[in-house]
Amino acid sequence: MNIIVAMRQLADLVEELEVDSSGTDIDREFVKFVSNEWDEAALEEALCLKEAYGGTVTVVGIEEVDFHQTLHAALAKGADRAVELTGDFEGWIPTRQRAAALAWFIRECDFDLVLTGVQAADDLNGQLAGAIGAMLGVAHASVVTNISVEGSEAHITQELGGGVTSVSRARLPLVLGVQSARQAPRYVPISRIRQVMAEATIEKVPVTGESFGNTPQVLRLYAPEASGTATMLEGKPKEVASAIYDVLVAKGVAGSRKGN
Amino acid sequence: MLTVIETRQIFAGETRLERVVFYLASFVAILIFFVGLAFRVRKYFAGRPLDLSRFRRKHLDRDLLGITRPVPVSRSIHEIASNGTVSKRNRGVGLAHLALFWGFLGLLAATTILSLDYDVVGNLTRIFGHHELSFFTGHFYLAYNAIFDLAGLAALVGLVGLIVRRARSTSIALDYKRAQIPEDGYSRARMAAGDLLFAYGLLAILVTGILIQALRIDASRFPPYERWTWMGYAIASAMHGIGISSTSAAAIHLWIWWIHIAMALAFVAYIPWSKAIHIMTAPANLLVRDSSATRRLPANNLDHPGYRSLDDFTSKELLSLDACTKCGRCHSVCPARTGGAPLSPRDLILDLRQWADRSAGLSMVLDWEQRPTASGPLVAGGRLAGDVILPATLWSCTTCMACVEICPVGIEHVPTIVSLRRSLVDEGTMDPTLQSALENLATQGNSFGKSARMRARWAKGLDFDLVDARKQHVEYLWFLGDFASFDERLGEISRILATVLRDAGVSFGILFEDERNAGNDVRRVGEEGLFEMLVEQNLAAFAGADFDKIFTTDPHSFNTLRNEYPVYGLDKPVLHYSEVLLEIMETNEGALANLGGRVTYHDPCYLGRYNRIFEQPRRLVELAGCELVEMPRNRTNSFCCGAGGGRIWMDDSVLTERPSENRMREAAELGVEQFVVACPKDYVMFSDAVKTTGNEGRIKVVDIVELVAEATRLVGAGSAGGEQG
Ligand code: SF4
Ligand code: SF4
Repeated sequence: MNIIVAMRQLADLVEELEVDSSGTDIDREFVKFVSNEWDEAALEEALCLKEAYGGTVTVVGIEEVDFHQTLHAALAKGADRAVELTGDFEGWIPTRQRAAALAWFIRECDFDLVLTGVQAADDLNGQLAGAIGAMLGVAHASVVTNISVEGSEAHITQELGGGVTSVSRARLPLVLGVQSARQAPRYVPISRIRQVMAEATIEKVPVTGESFGNTPQVLRLYAPEASGTATMLEGKPKEVASAIYDVLVAKGVAGSRKGN
Repeated sequence: MLTVIETRQIFAGETRLERVVFYLASFVAILIFFVGLAFRVRKYFAGRPLDLSRFRRKHLDRDLLGITRPVPVSRSIHEIASNGTVSKRNRGVGLAHLALFWGFLGLLAATTILSLDYDVVGNLTRIFGHHELSFFTGHFYLAYNAIFDLAGLAALVGLVGLIVRRARSTSIALDYKRAQIPEDGYSRARMAAGDLLFAYGLLAILVTGILIQALRIDASRFPPYERWTWMGYAIASAMHGIGISSTSAAAIHLWIWWIHIAMALAFVAYIPWSKAIHIMTAPANLLVRDSSATRRLPANNLDHPGYRSLDDFTSKELLSLDACTKCGRCHSVCPARTGGAPLSPRDLILDLRQWADRSAGLSMVLDWEQRPTASGPLVAGGRLAGDVILPATLWSCTTCMACVEICPVGIEHVPTIVSLRRSLVDEGTMDPTLQSALENLATQGNSFGKSARMRARWAKGLDFDLVDARKQHVEYLWFLGDFASFDERLGEISRILATVLRDAGVSFGILFEDERNAGNDVRRVGEEGLFEMLVEQNLAAFAGADFDKIFTTDPHSFNTLRNEYPVYGLDKPVLHYSEVLLEIMETNEGALANLGGRVTYHDPCYLGRYNRIFEQPRRLVELAGCELVEMPRNRTNSFCCGAGGGRIWMDDSVLTERPSENRMREAAELGVEQFVVACPKDYVMFSDAVKTTGNEGRIKVVDIVELVAEATRLVGAGSAGGEQG
């Protein structure tokens, strides 16, 4: 079974993100970039599937800051092939553009499954898997938590709302947005990553002749303005209780002490 | 042994057949002994060769004598001869063992001399000369008897002392209960039987040896010169007194003689197949032990990370497994075992020994554990780290070094544990919390998962600017470590230390976002690659800064910077802040006011046991005018807070009592107001323990620099001495 995992780099959210001078992108200069955690789950699920059924795992993504680290780690964990798509990619890549570049590459591959993270910090509505599926003309499912394969069919476990889980059946090939893998992403020792860095090669594939169609343009990027205020009450429990009471009275939720 | 001692006749009255039987039996016993020994030695050589170069190697300047330099052979010999390691914190047992040790050696010498006289000199002269010669006569004979009677008595007294002590002991050290209980049970009855056989067997050999001496004197009708054989003579007189005639003595003598010989020969044959092997392996292990091994862990020299099979161990480690006497001292002091974790250093060594023996096709007659189904050391195949030794066991170690410190035979448990952990890390078998700490360390350089740029944020609260050591020369580079940099509670202590140093006019600076976790605990977790990466990053940061010396807040960083970084090229002195503070305060007389109050001080493992810094923090406490009340477990016997070796990144659910709580209860007994620490991790661990043991409001955890700051502030405020009394 041949699995393709699409991965992407994101600004590390432990950093304080700032908007750059253009006002339409985050300041990328000093921010650290790390791999998207849901993509890591997709990779883990792919590796588990490979262990269970054999086949290959190909990791692919667009040339972004420190993407090589992610690819090296993926190879060290057991991926067979690491591909970096190069081209005219600057700053924030809209999901649709990303999907088009990935679909352009995947189309030429022999694949049974395409896995990617259900969402990313810059794709909270989780379009990537669906867009790739549409562009490839392949069925798609999202919020997947487990995959098993029987012959040319896959059983897909999905989380639905209200604490309900569904298992459905679909014919391969498929594009899936992975919510979580059957196990937490594995740890790969630094020594093995370093060994991979010395030995393995990353294939660089220039994206050519692909028009991305209608992609949105960011007009303004900003931190949401504070919409409400919270007051911390301090002091002894009695004082705090009486302060709360006063607030309730002031807001008209409770009657005044004197009034009753 | 005290066998056939007669002035002229070695075999007194035995027939020719009996002599043949005796020589045959001796030959077989000695053969079994040497075959067993050869098997054991072959097992040691299955390991990686012993690195003897450390006995010749030129040492690094900053290698500290007695800490990271190899123990000189002369000192090891002295320690072996004086049983120094056995007496440590256990004088009674030490003395008894010393008596047995020298008594046994004496008797061994006696037997050797006798055999030399009769079997070698006697036989040679009989075969090649005209008549048989013997030096076993006259003054030599008399002195021989007098001296070796003393040896016999010493061995007897020592052995009886040890037997009585063991029988009366209720200590958990000797009850052989495992810390990690296998699901379907286990039995160590054979181990206990092995101990009994060893002790009572030796006793029987000694007693019969002394008896045959007395019977012989009785039988030969008390020749006056035999008074030199004072013990034998006295016992013979007593026997005669209770009516054993010389004739009956002669009859019994033969029987007891054979019993004695049979037991002694059986014992010789038994040695390499039992606990008795420690007679040879323990001194050998003490000679080759490496006091730097735990402080400066060996890099992974294998072609794969971590130990998997017998040949991954060093010969020294395999030898040390056979040296363990099951004394249980490490078992008693281990904070993991005390806290209810599934780790006991003793069990670890015994399990590894049994596994190593099995892997080498060897066996012990008795001293083995049995299990209804093959698990742990009995497992067939399986992973060494994972099946033979369980992951939970390996992950429980805090690398506190208490076991290494106390082990009387010089076993170094910690490097072996780390080598086994390396296998677990390689296959990713670890707590999720540890995994995320390691991932954070790899990406951010700190275990908190915070941006490296936040590292110096604590300094924002200072009313002066810290010097950037990357831009300006400083005398001291201050290496804070993760906790002192990122933990909210410790930010304040870092600011106090910065202020005290600034006020004292010390030239110091920091690395700001270029400092990375020093990697001490990363290495001890078994993530060697990440450790090396952190070393490279820190060395690059050091290269970009201008300073003369380093001091650290964290004793863990201190250990690796001081003992391990030199191997990678660091050539600057490394100090701990308590040393720097003491130097300042001692040169400024009157710098500190008298604070008064009763306090206790906790020795951090990595400062005390690892680096032998015991007195500097105590001096500071004294200079600040506090009364120092020692906890029962102090200095080399300090009890770990439970945070080391990466434990701080792991889940505590295996524990029934946290080591820090155990320690806090110990302190609470003393009636002290303050619990003084000199380690950021201690501050965190013990502040929690004060709450969970219900000592809030009674004991306060303070960092040593808080005491110093308070005492200097009082001086500054002109109220020096105001708090006295
Ligand atoms: S180092 Fe400490 S925690 Fe680890 S086994 Fe030894 S005594 Fe126990
Ligand atoms: S390892 Fe050392 S301290 Fe522990 S039981 Fe064995 S001999 Fe005693």
